[in-house]
Amino acid sequence: MAQPYGLILILLIAPATSVRLQDGVATGAKQARKVPLTRTVKLPVIQLSSPNANEKQGNPAALEVWPGAEDELPEGPSGFDVFADGSFVIADPLSLRLVVYDAQGNFKRALPVGFAADSVTVTNEGMILAREANTDAVHPLDREGKPLEQAPKLSPMPEATLVRGENKGSISVGASPGLPAGTLAVRFDEKGSTMVSLQAIGTDSGLGMFVALEATVPEGGADGIDVRKMVQRYSPQGVLVAESAWIPLDYFVPPVDELRVRKGIVYQLMTTRTEVRVNEWDMNER
Amino acid sequence: MNSTFWVLGAVLLVGLCPAIGQNTAAIARLPQTTREEILARAKTFANHKWTCSAKNLHASCYANYRSDWKDGQVITGIPYNWGGFDSPASFDQKIAKGMAAGSHSRYGVLSCTAGIDCSGFVSYCWGIPLKSHTYTTSNMRDIGGELKSNWFTDLQPGDALDKPGSHVVLFTGYNPDGTFNICEAAGGPARVVCHKTTWSTHKGFIPLQYKGLY
Repeated sequence: MAQPYGLILILLIAPATSVRLQDGVATGAKQARKVPLTRTVKLPVIQLSSPNANEKQGNPAALEVWPGAEDELPEGPSGFDVFADGSFVIADPLSLRLVVYDAQGNFKRALPVGFAADSVTVTNEGMILAREANTDAVHPLDREGKPLEQAPKLSPMPEATLVRGENKGSISVGASPGLPAGTLAVRFDEKGSTMVSLQAIGTDSGLGMFVALEATVPEGGADGIDVRKMVQRYSPQGVLVAESAWIPLDYFVPPVDELRVRKGIVYQLMTTRTEVRVNEWDMNER
Repeated sequence: MNSTFWVLGAVLLVGLCPAIGQNTAAIARLPQTTREEILARAKTFANHKWTCSAKNLHASCYANYRSDWKDGQVITGIPYNWGGFDSPASFDQKIAKGMAAGSHSRYGVLSCTAGIDCSGFVSYCWGIPLKSHTYTTSNMRDIGGELKSNWFTDLQPGDALDKPGSHVVLFTGYNPDGTFNICEAAGGPARVVCHKTTWSTHKGFIPLQYKGLY
């Protein structure tokens, strides 16, 4: 995941210098690029049928999913992150391990950590921070899964504020080396749809800020809560330059690490009944 | 035909009246509580500290049980126990007696484990006595009225989000970024936890307000 301390973001520090967004496009800027799903990497899953089942025997690449039951959510991979070379580390909590796949989804190695991890963060230095699901303890590991003495202190993601009912919001970014603190203006413009949340999900050196938006579904109709979700990329100057297509939200196992950003690519973890999908949207300039 | 219509109508009314009466009476009998009390109960589950001992790692009634915990581990949060409906006090008593701490549906409903599941947790927070597991995600609407207001702005702490047949969580408030906070008993974290979450991971959940609020 791109780390906030790697931030090189030119922020808008005064109204006189701010970029004003109108209809989702910065004044004087070109139309934000719509980014369709770039590709999906599929990883194998074994759906367990009983606690004693040994269906995975002979296939270390397979991740385990328990389908749940009446009044119980399915359990399985909910955490992941991406290394600088595009390979993935996925938490496999039912097997008490992490599993590394290359960028094409080929099994590389299993890291038998001995605890159920529900969230994984890869630092810019390649260190793995695996969070133990039932204690919230964060375990620092090297790329081979060997425990490390100390975990680096990561800065939290910048805080966002939604202006309710106005389809806009802002993200406050603390000062980073050589840059002052400031506010990024975020706007969502689509008739019949209301933005209901926004979150900074990544900053990338030279690429700016990545923001996940949730919005109401026009005309609704579905029983219960229903939203759509997309990711916007803002340039270091605060200009909206790219928007992902609506991302699929048909989760079987609810993700803890839903979205990650690495080198301008947005990654989504989606565990289904039959496979783990890592969906990718390449938000880089063309 | 007219007389048949009226006879059928009368039969239907006579048949329904007791049911309507019972339902109204059941609601009237619901324990009365406030939103503050609901949140306070949720915190007692999420903040409950306990120590797992070796005897709590094994379930005497299920040979292949695998514990979520380790000997000597100090844990914050009452364990998730599918089918369980223990209060913090009854959980402590069972743990002291050597029962296993928590369980998942893959082991079935076990009589030798302690903890609480999602619907037991929300029921308890709403003030329902946990003498039996009366309410599940499928009949939560017997004690929770469906909210018709704007869910993204008008929920109040102590309301619930229920997906019948799947899961139920307690809503505890909105965040400035439009996301929200919940407390839940869930198998992933293996205990009661309170945390920030997103709308996209709660698609299909239906907001409910406890009918016994005053």
